[in-house]
Amino acid sequence: MKRPVAVVGVGQTQHRSKRADVNIAGLVREAIDRALLDAGLEHKDIDAVVIGKAPDLFEGVALPEQFLAGAVGAHMKPMLRVHTAGSVGGSTAITAATHVASGLFERVLTVAFEKQSEGNAMWALSPNVPFQPKLVAGAGGFFAPHTRAYITRTGAPLHIGPMIAVNARANAGRNEYAHLREPITMEDVMNSPMLWDPIRYLETCPSSDGAIALVVASEEQAKKGPRKPAWIKSAYSYAEPMWIPGRDQVNPLAGRTAAKAVFDKAGITNPWKEIHTAEIYVPFSWFEAMWLENLGFCEIGNGWKIIDRGEQKFGAHLPINPSGGVLNTNPIGASGMIRLGEAAMQVMGRAGAHQVEGAKTALGHAYGGGSQYFAMWVVSSER
Amino acid sequence: MSTLRNVAIVGFAQLPVVARDEHHVTTDMIYMAVRQALTNCGVEPGAIEYQISGSTDYTDGRPFGFAAALDAMGCWPPKQDLHLEMDAAFCVYYAWLRMQAGDCDTALVVGHGKTSEGDPNRVANLQLDPYYQAPIGLDLKSTAALQASAYMTRTGTTDRDLAAIAARNRTAGARNPDNQVRHAATAEELLQTPWDVEPLRTGYVPPIGESATCLIMATEEKASALCDRPVWIHGIDQRVEMQTLGARDLSRSASAQLAGQNACAMADLKGATEVDLLELFATTPVEELILCDALGIDPKTARPAINPSGGPLCAHPIMNTGLIRMGEVFRQLSGRADGRAVPGARRGIAHATQGHCLQHNLVCVLGTERRWS
Repeated sequence: MKRPVAVVGVGQTQHRSKRADVNIAGLVREAIDRALLDAGLEHKDIDAVVIGKAPDLFEGVALPEQFLAGAVGAHMKPMLRVHTAGSVGGSTAITAATHVASGLFERVLTVAFEKQSEGNAMWALSPNVPFQPKLVAGAGGFFAPHTRAYITRTGAPLHIGPMIAVNARANAGRNEYAHLREPITMEDVMNSPMLWDPIRYLETCPSSDGAIALVVASEEQAKKGPRKPAWIKSAYSYAEPMWIPGRDQVNPLAGRTAAKAVFDKAGITNPWKEIHTAEIYVPFSWFEAMWLENLGFCEIGNGWKIIDRGEQKFGAHLPINPSGGVLNTNPIGASGMIRLGEAAMQVMGRAGAHQVEGAKTALGHAYGGGSQYFAMWVVSSER
Repeated sequence: MSTLRNVAIVGFAQLPVVARDEHHVTTDMIYMAVRQALTNCGVEPGAIEYQISGSTDYTDGRPFGFAAALDAMGCWPPKQDLHLEMDAAFCVYYAWLRMQAGDCDTALVVGHGKTSEGDPNRVANLQLDPYYQAPIGLDLKSTAALQASAYMTRTGTTDRDLAAIAARNRTAGARNPDNQVRHAATAEELLQTPWDVEPLRTGYVPPIGESATCLIMATEEKASALCDRPVWIHGIDQRVEMQTLGARDLSRSASAQLAGQNACAMADLKGATEVDLLELFATTPVEELILCDALGIDPKTARPAINPSGGPLCAHPIMNTGLIRMGEVFRQLSGRADGRAVPGARRGIAHATQGHCLQHNLVCVLGTERRWS
């Protein structure tokens, strides 16, 4: 990035299984209005709009940014629509940051959303692609074998997945925007139905309606703003093919490559020590252990041990997903941007009841496709 | 305008546009286009730092249709990547922004859309807002006809005028071997074609085709190693309008006008009249007239030449059509336009659009010389 870029406003909606009180535009606008208010800006101050969401099949509207162009305040402005599967919220925020980094834009609004109650994500994620085996098991059916492979490789005990789910729910209880907030116990998780072995019902993400918007801006604007900004120290999105021989879906090379790039650029040599909190894209419990390794927070094979020792809990050494994460709030297209936005809120010191004490540097992470797309950024309270 | 980085188009390849490619799945089609573009530049995928594709799931009839591109774009080991749910021309805009931000020096842009997998006209209906406009059954043809009526009513343009424009495109298009429609037609012949949706005749609208396209971009530091005659981006801008048809003057394109003004200002041109050729993403003769109005061009003028490729009336592979406009200007300005070359062309404009009735417009000014010294 040629010049400093900061997050100067964050706004998200109340996330629920069905937001029947708003239509798609109303949902998106709820997040945008809050983000603009947060940044102390108005639509007229915005130079460009970047929209992201996951498959249009979820709502049954093709290219919905076209009908939303008015509602998001993009009329007569530049607008781009991003779609990189589950990582889209992350790559959308990075796309907006690039606008500012280019020197051609001062204030860019970016928004990501999903209104899952309009359709059926299980159906939309069970495609019948020519010349490929028909997958009728949604995302969970696709990813369960990866988590089973992780357990086999590392010898992780089976209680790790449920532990992750219980901790995530406890975290969500502190987040007023989270979709699922009622506490759960290990027993609850273990007794919940097996959906895709080894993933049980309470170890999987919900279907949510929700949106998040960020305002990213230049240094000059950030210094004028009403609040302390979150400085984007580094931001990368990497992808790898689905069918390349030698691919490792448990520990994908694109994820490792993006993590190295994002930490190197931010000048971080030991993420375990130098990152104070991380928002990681965990749609199924075991991915928390897998991504801790993939991101380089520990040696390969040790991710589950961090969880077993409770070092990722709120108030412990490296709080992971203090917001409660994707496991408790999953408007799919928005989920990635919520990770990046929550990381920004932490270093701005504005995460409310789930604020991690002393969080100065944070990671926001998202992934998608068949563990092919990775988007992440490091944000800091220091320029 | 402050000094920006000089960025060039250094390679372009497309599959000839067809109604339905029976023999290849999407990944095969993309692979052939990527392979051809890289071969033209004399490099392997490892030489390209950044990749970006443009497509839409609804056209592919599946979620994550763009993931098919990853298997053909050459991103192993993994590469910095993005996908826009847009015509691939908008990917050029974003790759250019990344280069301005100093994030990369080379980029591979892919467009794809296997339109024969579905019903593009029905998909176009689903692009309209789901509350008011989609339920009444409007589709791509009916909204284009509404726009044509609005324009003809305001300006007095006649059926015969439209036929003349379509005929000019069809005559030019016969010289372009990549076109789906390659037989010339006269205005008299086109006037005899039946109404598609009045006032548009079947001779005034293109068949929907399919293709895959690949365009390679490079900054000044890398361009000369990849191409003997790079074509430089002098100015680029894109603007969107609200969708609601009743809230817009459909007989004009305010967003194309603003994008054109901004792109020309960046290029240090007084206006679009200063270029030698235009490649307009106009899928009807009326869209061509509205775009000419927006860009300040007299559509009857000999210079700039309008759509020497034959334009979208002769080939309209959805999600590629805009990128082909850029590819065509590249071919014209780099001496690769063969039988359809505009003599002495040194500057051109490529235009791309998205959405119903020219909702979203991109204008890119290209030239044979570097823009910034």
